[in-house]
Amino acid sequence: MKNSIRVERAIKKITQEDLSRLVQVSRQTINAIESEKYVPSTLLSLKISKIFEKNVNDIFQLEESDWKES
Amino acid sequence: MKPNYLLSNQFKKIGWILFIPSMILGLLFVIFQFQPEFLDMKVFAILESGIAPWETNQGFCVITQTNLADEIIGILLIISLFFIAFSKEKNEDEFISKIRLESLLWATYINYAVLILAILFVYGGSAFWVLVYNIFTILLFFIIRFNWVIRKTRKLAKDEK
Repeated sequence: MKNSIRVERAIKKITQEDLSRLVQVSRQTINAIESEKYVPSTLLSLKISKIFEKNVNDIFQLEESDWKES
Repeated sequence: MKPNYLLSNQFKKIGWILFIPSMILGLLFVIFQFQPEFLDMKVFAILESGIAPWETNQGFCVITQTNLADEIIGILLIISLFFIAFSKEKNEDEFISKIRLESLLWATYINYAVLILAILFVYGGSAFWVLVYNIFTILLFFIIRFNWVIRKTRKLAKDEK
């Protein structure tokens, strides 16, 4: 799964630390999501989208490889 | 919020405070047979026997004589390791819970892999001690793996600013 959190953060001019505080998770979690090592829960995805005032689909996108994983 | 069955964060510190003296007592017990006389006493036993349960001289629900040092040290070690392993991180969240579960699975694999090797290659009295250490190793492996991964992800997040 791809995401555009890094871009959205740049637009909003907030750091990973700021975002982690806004959505009430650790800084590691935001970092891991941005570097695509961790796929956030629906709940956290919704919270992140809400902060950027966008739809979840605008920030998180499925990739071809998401379908092949068993 | 759904419960996550973890202790609150303060228990981590209590765990370490308990663990260090327990570990020292444990080492004293293993190396120097540390068994102070005042801990010699009669206790209630559900089962008492030789090394193997089918050996003779076994008793059910009897009063027996023992030194309580190993009982106390064993329980202290288990409780302190439990506190360290299963108290929340300050910033416990879904990603940390995932690392926690992965580490628990990893620790279980490693623990049993080590145990199988020990069953195959350790004999005599030492085999008994392998089982004794095995009481604690699963928690120890978990604590080491979990904290190592947490530290690594924290460092990655810090480097990127």
